[in-house]
Amino acid sequence: MTPIIKANELTKTFGSYIAVNHLTFEVREGEVLGLLGPNGAGKTTTIRMLACLISPSEGSAIVAGNKIGENPLVVRQTVGILTETPSLYERLTALENMDFFAKAYNLLDDHKRSERIKELLIFFSLWERRNDKVVTFSKGMKQKLAIARALVHKPPILLLDEPTAGLDPESSKEVRDLMKTLSQQEKYTILLCTHHLKDAEKLCNRVMIINKGKSVITGTLDELRNKINGQIIIQVALKKINSKMVEAAKKVDGVKRVDVDKPASMLKILVNDAELTTPLIVKNIVDSKGLVLSVNVLRPSLEEVYLKLIKEDSK
Amino acid sequence: MRIEKAILVFWKDWREIRRNWQIILPIVIVPLMISVVLPILLTVISGLAVTEGDSFSEFLPLIENLPNNIQMQFAGFTDQQVMIYVMAVYFFAPFFLIIPLMTSSVIASDSFAGEKERRTIEALLATPISDGELFFGKMLVSFIPSMLITVVSFMVYTIVFDVVAISLFNGMLLLPNLDWILMIFGLAPTIALASIGLTIIISAKVKGFREAQQISVILLIPILSLVFGQVTGAIIFGPIIILTLIGLFVVLDFVVFRIGLMLFKREEILTKLA
Ligand SMILES: Nc1ncnc2c1ncn2[C@@H]1O[C@H](COP(=O)(O)OP(=O)(O)OP(=O)(O)O)[C@@H](O)[C@H]1O
Ligand SMILES: [Mg+2]
Repeated sequence: MTPIIKANELTKTFGSYIAVNHLTFEVREGEVLGLLGPNGAGKTTTIRMLACLISPSEGSAIVAGNKIGENPLVVRQTVGILTETPSLYERLTALENMDFFAKAYNLLDDHKRSERIKELLIFFSLWERRNDKVVTFSKGMKQKLAIARALVHKPPILLLDEPTAGLDPESSKEVRDLMKTLSQQEKYTILLCTHHLKDAEKLCNRVMIINKGKSVITGTLDELRNKINGQIIIQVALKKINSKMVEAAKKVDGVKRVDVDKPASMLKILVNDAELTTPLIVKNIVDSKGLVLSVNVLRPSLEEVYLKLIKEDSK
Repeated sequence: MRIEKAILVFWKDWREIRRNWQIILPIVIVPLMISVVLPILLTVISGLAVTEGDSFSEFLPLIENLPNNIQMQFAGFTDQQVMIYVMAVYFFAPFFLIIPLMTSSVIASDSFAGEKERRTIEALLATPISDGELFFGKMLVSFIPSMLITVVSFMVYTIVFDVVAISLFNGMLLLPNLDWILMIFGLAPTIALASIGLTIIISAKVKGFREAQQISVILLIPILSLVFGQVTGAIIFGPIIILTLIGLFVVLDFVVFRIGLMLFKREEILTKLA
């Protein structure tokens, strides 16, 4: 896949403070790249540079074929940005906000513009409230309207800065599903900044973790798991546990350790490859007269990967 | 520069301002005070002063300070006529300049500092509208309404005084005269622009609307010194003085706008968000 964003040694300093430190990465056309990192890692600053809101102190980036800084108006036209704060005019209605930004993004044909706005507001379930001032909207509604605004000119690239921040579980799921639709059905390329690792896990093709302005790692979730030697745990819940069953589990090739959780009546078996070992473990336990109630494979979550990598990086 | 983009920004800002009583209240009340309340008060007080006699004597030194050629204008007037004439035509004139100064600075504070304060500026800066178009649009929204208000206030002021004058001066109309025309259409715009330029500079450095407003008050100093100058007889409004002031303000406009434009950079506005 061809890269649609190519950042090369992107750097931003504020005074003597280096907020973004020689970041090199690419976002491929049609993918969702998650940008993860602790507070102050430089995520927002990176997005702002890509949207031509601030200029890099060093390095450069090419966004949809245009070098940032060389033709900022064209770059801004090709990206849709969700800023960290919704950045909406609260005294204007939803429709007035959309209309202003649509015109600002050069949707000049009256008919096409109002059709596009209607389509988006309906999609985001805000059509009924279109004539209400934004000040009366809930946080989730504002966030949805801000995302609608980012989409109004059908930009090929979306830069989303914490789209689910501060939303209740229901609204966050709604926004998450929406991003999924945008990426899978509408084929937007999305750069997604988030602290919600579950969101990243569900949405991103690849993630990049940054810390103190520097890239820690970039890759698919599986690649990241491998990087930290993440271990897989198979949990086998049994009606009753005896030592014969523990021995039976230990005998299987590839099993590294077997822990017994008596109160839960459960075996926790560390393995490298779940696919290979799980059937054999279950077979051996059943052969030794164990009554298996459930089998559960636990892979390291993105959260574990993230925490471990950030911890290592900070050392 | 695409003028339609500037106009787009103008209408957006105007819509917001119209719905903001923090803005509407001062820019309606102050002109109303100066163009309606003040003239009516003057007429009433001058009537009372004349019947009581003594208040007028306090007013006399002010009139004696006026140059002879002006004093000649009201030869043969009654005391009440003199008082109204001098106040309406001369002493209130500098007060009137407070209208373009204040209205434009209130609107500009909201448009520049207010948008920064409310954090709406980032999405605006992310659009493909250039710095120049944004700047010009925001300047228009500060300038046009304030000049409209100034002209309307002037018309109201003229009507109020002429209504008074018709009965009191045997049909003679006090206003408009050349001085006032020059002042409203020549001096007021240059003052409004200076006030906008200065507010933009201040807005770049402060957190929000209120702070920008408070600092903009320093602009009242030159205006108040004009008032004071007139009262002491040191400065008397006339075409020469007004044209000189216009010249001075044009230079000032130039300077503050150069600085304002220099400070109005996307990056600066966004990264200096306090
Ligand atoms: N305008 C600015 N002036 C000075 N320092 C800044 C400015 N903007 C950002 N920084 C600094 O740069 C660093 C990176 O900030 P940035 O907002 O990009 O972080 P982030 O990854 O988005 O954090 P968060 O998850 O909290 O949103 C921070 O240490 C911040 O203090
Ligand atoms: Mg951020």
